[in-house]
Parts: sequence; structure tokens; C-alpha cells
Amino acid sequence: MKSSLPLFLMSVAMLGGCVTASVDEMTFDAPTAGMAEGSLVILGRRHAPDYDTEPDFIDCIGGHISRGSESIDVIPEQQFVDSLYPWFEPRTAPLSIESVGRLMVLPTVASKLQELNVSYMVWIDGRTQETNSSGSMTCGVGPTGAGCFGFGTWGTESEYEATIWNFDDGAEVGKMSALTSGQSYMPAVVVPIPIIAPVQDTACESLGTQLLQYFSAGS
Amino acid sequence: MVERLLDSMISGPSAKRFYTLFALAFITACSSREVIVDGSFPTPLVDPVPVSLGVVFTPEFREHQLVDDATGRGEVSWSVSTGVAQVQFWSTLLPAFFQNVVFIESYDDLETYDVDAVFVPEIADVQYAIPLYTNVKVYEIWMRYRLRLVEPEQLKDNDNKTLSLDNMQPFAEWPLTAYGKTPTAFMQSDSDAVNLAAVMALRDAGAHFITSFGRVPGIMGWLENPEESQ
Repeated sequence: MKSSLPLFLMSVAMLGGCVTASVDEMTFDAPTAGMAEGSLVILGRRHAPDYDTEPDFIDCIGGHISRGSESIDVIPEQQFVDSLYPWFEPRTAPLSIESVGRLMVLPTVASKLQELNVSYMVWIDGRTQETNSSGSMTCGVGPTGAGCFGFGTWGTESEYEATIWNFDDGAEVGKMSALTSGQSYMPAVVVPIPIIAPVQDTACESLGTQLLQYFSAGS
Repeated sequence: MVERLLDSMISGPSAKRFYTLFALAFITACSSREVIVDGSFPTPLVDPVPVSLGVVFTPEFREHQLVDDATGRGEVSWSVSTGVAQVQFWSTLLPAFFQNVVFIESYDDLETYDVDAVFVPEIADVQYAIPLYTNVKVYEIWMRYRLRLVEPEQLKDNDNKTLSLDNMQPFAEWPLTAYGKTPTAFMQSDSDAVNLAAVMALRDAGAHFITSFGRVPGIMGWLENPEESQ
């Protein structure tokens, strides 16, 4: 009995909550020769009053694309934003490809973008948030030890939209979106066992795969 | 100390340990949060404005601290020190934004350096909000500056050979607001989230300063002829 308990706990911990995902895509003019030349930068929108697109989600998308194709050069978000400070801050970031034209009038900005060899810019707007929660759990600490008892469950939803700008043509060339949701559970009998639905990870994988296919087209 | 105090009140090692932990948790929950704003600030990518500028950071600016004593409200008190970060940030931004920048600390500096104007930043107000107060899932920092450009001669107290800001009459004076936020979803501690919001607010101050500088009344004319227009 004793030897099977860790195995049971491990197998429960490895279970993930269920996640459903739906993806949508509207693109045109995919790179005909792939991304052998030029770099790609993925940026998060940060101008909404009550949320920011998570930097780790942007890193996750970038990592997914980099791992998927060695020929695609992804510039890290913070490096790009710092090297072009203050033109990609929440206050100043271009909201449309037309606004980029106004930035390119500045010689230093145009020169830096040329130096970085940016061909495509992907803006990601969205967030992951908890949608509902229920259940109850009681935890206590006593002289002989501590423990919890109860059951909790909560829903999580991720909604992200990616907008692709082609720098060479000065045009918006596509939009993609990913909507994922899932339910996580946490039963507790002395020790709480979280069974977490990988909602944001699924959104990252869905959107990252779509973007990878787009930028790998023709190569 | 807490353990020694409880020693006289209760008996049994386990019970003592339990009550000590409880007391420490209680004290921690009611204590204050102290944040010394710390971050790295990038050099702005701009064509320098062709003027020679002196910069005076007053002691109030260098040591700026926001203190919110919330003990009366039964909440956690906050102390957010922005002074060091302010100096670090503006010392990075100004030399990149203006062609020549010198930091003025004394009357002798004013005598030594030939500058077109002296820039005197002042922090008029800093406010913060945490999710506990607003029910919005973001930590926020607002900053409001009072910025002034003044002729170098006006800062000289020739009688006492000192640098004086008492009687200066700036030829340009303008407010600058800045805002930074950190969502709770980023899963940081309260202090880390407030620090990051303050760093974002400083970056926003720089963005606002750079994009609005040329439109400030009194500055356009000065930029056309920095040596005479005051």
C-alpha cells in the first residue's frame, strides 16, 4: 500500500485538466521564399487599461517558432523594445502599419530597423484569465502537523489575436487567433493535488504552430 | 524575541512553535512594504537636440520617496523610494536627447560650463494603487513632474557664490505625467509588482518627454535660437 501511494500521487499529478482550443486564420501573401532572409519580431500589446499581454506568452510563441525552424530569426521582444526605446512603449507603439511609416521618417529609427533586418512584425493582443471558480477547501496547522481537506475547481480562458505586418511591403498581411479554455481541479485529502489545465500553453502551441506554418510557407 | 515572549505564556515545545509561527505571520501581515525602485533603463534612440543643457537634480528629487502610512486604516503601509531610479533614468535619457549635457552641482559648475539653459525637474506627485484598493487586477503608479528650463544666470547667487533655485523665473515650465502598470497575472510579489510598475512609469515619462518636448510653449522659439531667445 505504501509503495503504491507515491505512484498514485504522481499519476494524478500528471493528469491535466481538459482544454478545448479553437483557432482562426485569415492570411494572405505568405513569404514565398520562407524567412531565410530578414528577421521576425513578436511584440505584445500593452495599452489596454486592465491587462497586458503577458511577456512570457510572447517568449513562448517566439520559442515555438525558433524551435520549429532554424532559418527563422526571432528577435527577443525586450531586446527589440529596448533598442528602439521610446518608440515601442505602450504610449508610443504604432497601432497600425501606416503609423510605422511615420516612425520611419526618423533616421535613427529607420537605421536601427534596417540594422535589425526586420521583415515581419507580429503583434499579439490578448490575455489568459480565470473565468469561474467554485468549491471549498479548509487548511489547518496544528501542533502535530498541517493538512487540507476539500475540493476546488476553476475555469481558465485564453484569448489571443496575432496581427502580422510585412515591413518590406508596408502592409498588414494577416490575422490569426486562438481561443482556448479549460477547467482545473484541486482535490485535497491532507495534501492538495492540483490538476491544472494547460490553457495558456495550448494557446501558445496553437498560435505558434499557425505562425510557424505561415512563415515556413514556400521554404 | 517573539519566541521568548511566548515562552512565559504557554508551555510545550510544539505549541510554542505553533504560536510563534502564528505571531510571526500576524506581524508580517500587518507590517509595511518598502520598495526601493530598481531597474535598467535603455538609452533612447533619438537624434540629439542641438543645445547645451545643464541639469540640476535637487536633493528633494534625488531622495524622493512616496510614503503611505496606512496603519490607521488597518492596511499595509507602503514606502516607495524613487529618487535613485529617477536620477539613474534621467541621467541616461538627457545626455542622449540633448547634444551636450552637464550635471550642475555647484556655483562653480555654473561658472565653469557654458550652457544654453538649465533643466530643473521636480516630482510634483507620485501615487500608487494596488488591487486591494481598486478591485482591478493591476498594480499602478502615476507620476507627475513639474519641469523647468531656466537661464543659467538666474541660478547664481553671486553674493554668496552659491547655486540658488529660490528666485528663478523659468522661460519654460510644463507638467509631465507618466503611468506604469503591472498586471497581477504576472504572479509577482506586491513589492516586485510595484517596482515594475514604477520602472514602467519612468519609461513612460521618458517616452512622453521625448515626444512632447518640441511642442512645449516657450521651447520651440528657444530651440530655434538657444543662445538668445530667453
